[in-house]
Amino acid sequence: MSIAVERPKAAQPRPFLRPATKEALTGWLFASPWIIGFLIFTAAPMLFSLYTSFANYNITTPPRWIGLRNYQVLFQDPFFYKSLANTFWMVMVKTPIVVVVSIALALLLAMEVPGGPFFRTIFYLPNVLAGVAAVFLWKWILASDGLLNRALEAIGIQGPGWFTDPSWTKPALVVMGMWWIGGNVLIYLAGLKGVPKELYEAGSLDGAVGWSKFRHITLPLLSPTIFFQVVTGIIGTFQIFTTAFILAQTGGNTDPFFANQSLMFYVLYLYYRAFGKIGPAGFQMGYASALAWVLFVIIMVFTLFQLWLSKRWVYYETEGR
Amino acid sequence: MWHFWSSPLRRTAIRRVISICQAQLPNIKVNETPKPFGDIWTANIAAVAAGSGMPDVIVEDRPQLVQRAADQIDTDLSEYAQRDGIEGSMFWPFTWTEATVEGKPYGIPFETDVRVLYWNKQAFKEVGLDPEQPPKTWDDLWAYADKLDKKNDDGSYARVAFNPDFGNAGWNVWGRTNGAEYLKDGKLAVNDPKVVETMDWIKKWYDRYGGYDKVQEFRGTFGAPPNDAFMSGKVAMILDINGYSSVLNFYNPRVTVPKADGSTEQQPLDVGVGDPPYSASYGKPASTSGGFALSIPKGSPNADAAWEFIKCATGPDGATSWSRDTSAMSANITAAKDPALMGDPRWQFFLKAMDYSHGADIVPNYPNWTTEIDQRREAIFKGEKTAKDALDEAQQAIDAQVGP
Repeated sequence: MSIAVERPKAAQPRPFLRPATKEALTGWLFASPWIIGFLIFTAAPMLFSLYTSFANYNITTPPRWIGLRNYQVLFQDPFFYKSLANTFWMVMVKTPIVVVVSIALALLLAMEVPGGPFFRTIFYLPNVLAGVAAVFLWKWILASDGLLNRALEAIGIQGPGWFTDPSWTKPALVVMGMWWIGGNVLIYLAGLKGVPKELYEAGSLDGAVGWSKFRHITLPLLSPTIFFQVVTGIIGTFQIFTTAFILAQTGGNTDPFFANQSLMFYVLYLYYRAFGKIGPAGFQMGYASALAWVLFVIIMVFTLFQLWLSKRWVYYETEGR
Repeated sequence: MWHFWSSPLRRTAIRRVISICQAQLPNIKVNETPKPFGDIWTANIAAVAAGSGMPDVIVEDRPQLVQRAADQIDTDLSEYAQRDGIEGSMFWPFTWTEATVEGKPYGIPFETDVRVLYWNKQAFKEVGLDPEQPPKTWDDLWAYADKLDKKNDDGSYARVAFNPDFGNAGWNVWGRTNGAEYLKDGKLAVNDPKVVETMDWIKKWYDRYGGYDKVQEFRGTFGAPPNDAFMSGKVAMILDINGYSSVLNFYNPRVTVPKADGSTEQQPLDVGVGDPPYSASYGKPASTSGGFALSIPKGSPNADAAWEFIKCATGPDGATSWSRDTSAMSANITAAKDPALMGDPRWQFFLKAMDYSHGADIVPNYPNWTTEIDQRREAIFKGEKTAKDALDEAQQAIDAQVGP
């Protein structure tokens, strides 16, 4: 069925732009600061880095095209594999621990107890502190005779050399990372608050208690939040840099091979190559760009895999199942 | 001018140099800006690449100058130097070699250093060693250590005698005391038997103190001066640069010394300064030196004025003032032999040590060659690889990089 619209008889002055066009234009204009910023500060540098990844480039002289050389060298570079392995370790170990611990904390904080807001603030507080300052703090806490080891000693445990023994440096970073999960906890908390109370009531009527309520109501409804956290968490962990960079410093000097290279993460290695601390000579921006693009592909593959996997476990309320 | 001397002692010292030169150059105004050590060169390169915002004078790490020249970061100073008669003979030879590329200076040497042995005389007395007789050879060191090591009741070390990796030292300088030449006829030879021997010798020290991890743990208890390895009394002998002398003077640490009647007393730490111990096969002391030069970044709008300042700062007046304040060895030989400096007996010793010291081995197509050893040292000292295998590997990697 169609509706015939009667045109107004009296001839009105035609607007300069049709309303739809005008609306679209207004929209683009409002979005333009971001679009311009994105094009100049994100898209253009990305394209440039794609170009330099096929070139020899030391910043001061123009890039020299060398085709696939950087990528060929990269796949034979022992440090590429070493840094990738270190980074994978962090992704594989840290991600699940962060998920479990922050959900557990969120569940505790979601309980209606006096002082709830106070604890929420306390758990979020570390996120306010600048990363670099916090790393220095942790360097002190996790020193061989630092606070943590002294506390362990008090209960009869001989603590490890967190930042000296290469097999403990990455676990130390995971322990440190627990300090910053306040942000994750808050998001889970919001997710928990979004679970409709009726479902729990209905569950209670059907005889569900404690664990089964959590397993069959909370977890499915929280799964989109978990999915979001896992994806962003993995991307973030792949790009780990600051903590390791600062730990490897003594008196302003960076030791690229700190703790038997156990903390040489991918982006850190990229930095060492870019600024010529490792490798043949001078700034190696071309090689570093190639490293960056390989990481981009790795993260992309991981994320696509997650998206595919998510169909099997992420439950969206609107879908029904 | 950009520098990285931000500690109170050094900041004052560089200001004094500027003040002296300012008096000689009334038409020039010099401003100094301290930059963090980790960022200064990156920031300068970025500024030169951008074409603006670079300083007129920058402090450069001399061994890096060959790369700075290749990357066109710094200005070739040969015309200025020829015009004003600044030449290599005015400076310690290796400092000039490091600052020149194909005969052209890309920086004028400002300061250098030399690694020497510092020992704790009170600890020597405590265990019955002659406090005026430092160990001469590697074997002496080992024998001295048998006396100087001291354990707590729980078996941990209260004091270790020595470790080649403590202080400002590493395989590089110890290789020299074993007669190793890393660069032979323009070709790197890092798997030379002398280097292998040196690495094995360093590993022996790690093993002596319970292995690499144990030593790292012990090292973790060192703090910044005055709680560092040596001043805290935790290590009895240490190799460090001559500038450490001014740090010792500045903190003037105290030690607890047992008296004959069983009581203890506080005394200022009594420090001896001597030659780095050497291997029996080499038979004479050796050391290594690093240090900095003053350069003019490309594109600096005030290059002429910058040159006048560099000439003054690296000349006798500027450099002497710097050495008096910091105990850093002046790169300028006239300045290094200034009577005001010679009054300090330790200084006379440092000058003597300069004669057997080596600069960096610069390989233009692989300036980072030392990283090939650095990245394998831990595996060697832990016993995961033999020194021979690891250094053969390093040599292969270097050959792959620089070509046969």
